[in-house]
Amino acid sequence: MNPGVLLAIAAGGFALGVAGAHRFPRVWLALVLAGTIALLGAAVPVLLGGGEWQWRSDFPVAGQPLHLRLDAISALFLALVAVLGGSGAIYAHGYWPDRDYPRSAAPGRRWWTALLLGLMAVLLASNGLHFLIAWELFAVSGYFLITLERRRREVRFAGWLYLVASHAGTMGLFAFFAALAAHTGSWDLGPMRDQPALAPLLWLALFGFGVKAGVFPLHIWLPSAHANAPSHVSAVFSGVAIKMGIYGMLRFSGWLPTPSGAAWVVIALGAVSALLGIAFAFAQNDLKRLLAYSSVENIGVILIGLGGALLGATHADAPWGRLALAGALLHVWNHGLFKALLFFGAGSVLHATGTREMSRLGGLWRTMPWTAALFALGAMAVSALPPLNGFVSEWLVYLGLFDATISRGPAAWAAMPAAIMLAMTGALALATFVKAGAIVFLGAPRTKAAVHAHESGWWMRAPMLGLGALCAVLGLAPILVWPIIVRAAATWDPAWTGGEAPALLTLSGVHVALAVVLGTAGLALWARVRALGVRRGPTWDCGYAVPSPRMQYTSGAFAEVALHWFSPVLRFERTVQRPRALFPQRALHVERAVETVLERVIGPIAGGVLRVSSLVRQLQHGRLQLYIVYVVVGLAGLGTLVFLEGLR
Amino acid sequence: MMMAVLESLVRMLVWLLLAPLLPGIINKVKAWVAGRRGPPVLQLYYDLARLWQKSVVMSTLASPGFIAGPAVAWVGVAGAALLLPLGPSSGGLSFHGDVLLMVYLLAVARFCTAWAALETGSAFEGMGAAREVSYAVLAEVSLITAVLTLAVQSGSVTLVTMLAPSAGPGAVLLAAGLFAVLLAENSRVPFDDPNTHLELTMIHEVMVLDHSGPPLAVILHGASMKLLLFAVLLTQAVLPVGQQTPFAAAALLAAGVLAVTVGVGLVESLLARFAFRRVPLLLTTAFLLCLFALLLAWKGGAA
Repeated sequence: MNPGVLLAIAAGGFALGVAGAHRFPRVWLALVLAGTIALLGAAVPVLLGGGEWQWRSDFPVAGQPLHLRLDAISALFLALVAVLGGSGAIYAHGYWPDRDYPRSAAPGRRWWTALLLGLMAVLLASNGLHFLIAWELFAVSGYFLITLERRRREVRFAGWLYLVASHAGTMGLFAFFAALAAHTGSWDLGPMRDQPALAPLLWLALFGFGVKAGVFPLHIWLPSAHANAPSHVSAVFSGVAIKMGIYGMLRFSGWLPTPSGAAWVVIALGAVSALLGIAFAFAQNDLKRLLAYSSVENIGVILIGLGGALLGATHADAPWGRLALAGALLHVWNHGLFKALLFFGAGSVLHATGTREMSRLGGLWRTMPWTAALFALGAMAVSALPPLNGFVSEWLVYLGLFDATISRGPAAWAAMPAAIMLAMTGALALATFVKAGAIVFLGAPRTKAAVHAHESGWWMRAPMLGLGALCAVLGLAPILVWPIIVRAAATWDPAWTGGEAPALLTLSGVHVALAVVLGTAGLALWARVRALGVRRGPTWDCGYAVPSPRMQYTSGAFAEVALHWFSPVLRFERTVQRPRALFPQRALHVERAVETVLERVIGPIAGGVLRVSSLVRQLQHGRLQLYIVYVVVGLAGLGTLVFLEGLR
Repeated sequence: MMMAVLESLVRMLVWLLLAPLLPGIINKVKAWVAGRRGPPVLQLYYDLARLWQKSVVMSTLASPGFIAGPAVAWVGVAGAALLLPLGPSSGGLSFHGDVLLMVYLLAVARFCTAWAALETGSAFEGMGAAREVSYAVLAEVSLITAVLTLAVQSGSVTLVTMLAPSAGPGAVLLAAGLFAVLLAENSRVPFDDPNTHLELTMIHEVMVLDHSGPPLAVILHGASMKLLLFAVLLTQAVLPVGQQTPFAAAALLAAGVLAVTVGVGLVESLLARFAFRRVPLLLTTAFLLCLFALLLAWKGGAA
């Protein structure tokens, strides 16, 4: 079917969904699923080589003729929107039902569909003004989704911060699109690499889209918004919404000429985001905050790839640039899939225990075996372990960096530090996700809430199973999606059509073999152990006879060794209440990683601005006499000016 | 095709059978320095055979991951070992970027070992796992820097071509850096003491406290294979093993591995374990050694 028809069906389904969200949850679910399937149906043929789809109409929307475009890059993101939008809707059906959330379930459905509409419109719009309108629709529906539980104070704060940051970014985008339109004389978007005067505008786009993507110093809104939003919203936010920032950077770095130095800046931002993002993730004790910071890290990995691609494009279209870009594009999908899986897992834990504090959980594998197994799978994928999908994309990014190094050009001076920082990031990601998975799901339950946990229902389990399966498939057979990635890379830079492919076929074979051997080895050892007999006993614990679950290693203790090394940027705030007197009653030790950028940089600056504003506000006090004085003084001043002018 | 499969099988057998020799040699060297007779060189083989027959005691808290973890970790190390060329033979499985797969297969092993350790809910194992994954951050950075050095030196990202020539001007620095990484990754003195019986001071050993029977055998065998892997990697990174005739390469490789093993034994005899807060310093030194080797390789090679 024509993509246009399918997109119209999808849009119609979502629009009906917005209308019907209030009363009929199942009808709504059916509409959203039909819409996402239609979206997928529109995106997949374009990805498989059906060619770009464009549609122009003279019908003016907001004074501009309508121009929609679906090419391989937007189709790549659209497919992700479809998969996560659909699975999130199914998950929400079990996770956020009317029965438990009578006030917010229906608005949640409505804004979910509005968000999908907004995302779809952003990806299709090929007119600057329409892009901005769609961007705003998507940003605002995001705000209402984050604040579904707005009775809680921290949720309102997170939503407010998101709204402010998002609009700061949108301001950059307003400037960007307006300047672009002023330069070209039209709001219409398309490839304009042949106009070198446009190059400086890319900096504006980098800022605007960087805020949305959560690049390191601009990420301030991301952790609290992701942690406090309902989990299906966090999943779609981490999975696709922040990817819209990446989409924007990809789109416009492909269409506009690149200013000199942009490649270096992007790769540096990527490396810093990756390293500091994962360091902050490791420091978190809140499971969803940890996942949110890990999104900052993964955005960094994608940006390293994009920066490598920009470098390659400025170095005579070097093949390593294409490898780096391929890694970035594939990581967009991979991160979307495993991060949504992990957020769904975190949501199931929250649903079952009512807490996101890892140090109150533990031992959940016994009551929640499905969630535990799928979370472990997601944790291995996000740690970039073969044979799962995260490894494939990081491998491609690494290959791009290594090939750039051995080409021995100036690009090597960006590639070598980036590769070294990526290595550190990878090892820290492993540490982070060993911690997250093990503290939550292994050992003994630390609190009553964890003892009485229960497995989530099939509405929540099914989307997790689907995403887990996709992670495994993309890991085992990356060769299947390689043509798609090549097509998207060729859309980004039309010069990159041919060229030799990396050894993905071999890697796919190795991954399949590895998976088979891993399974066999696990089963063989299990069989051997069963044959010899298993005796269950208490944990050895070096002979200590009455261990209590509270004596287990906590998430803070686990991260303590490595986080020392980041002390210049990563500080902890401690609240300590020591046990006192002969019969101590209460003792307390709370540790929290300070949000350095927000609390140490943005916070003081905002405080200063507020102080100055409140000083200025004292001019406005409501006393009429003094207002008359202002007017007289003003008039006298003006009169003096005129008088002096007359004298000259 | 048939030949390639056969060769891989033979290589696998070599790895599996020779690996447990290394801890025996180290212990012999240590005994010799201390003036003792020491355990037999083949002690680990006897231990493995005995553990494989024993039944298992498992913590009541442990999930099936407690058994799967060691198995997966062992496969990870074995896979990494299979990727590593032995002298001029690449073993058929060689592709652009295989070195990264090797590094990440070792990461799989680390993930699963730490995961299995945390299964028991013991604070001691938690401590060991935390140390293992934290120090691995610095060790991995050094390892990737060493790999970058080799890549710059040889102009390739394929193990068999990367390891063929000698390490060039930075060989000594690279050898020292990789040797430190070897000690850290294999939890040897001065990073960790495999002989200590005080759980608070250990890294790797404390992670496997609760394992017994066949899983423990798998862990011990995997650890010895990892030691052999790093010794082979170090030897081939520094010496031009890949450019020799097969026979000479085998002799050179054996001599190199033996030298590294004896070196580990000597370090273990002559040095005390470092205080934990000094471990990061030592690892940073290893990283700097690799970094200087990288810069030397950059300056030294022809463009």
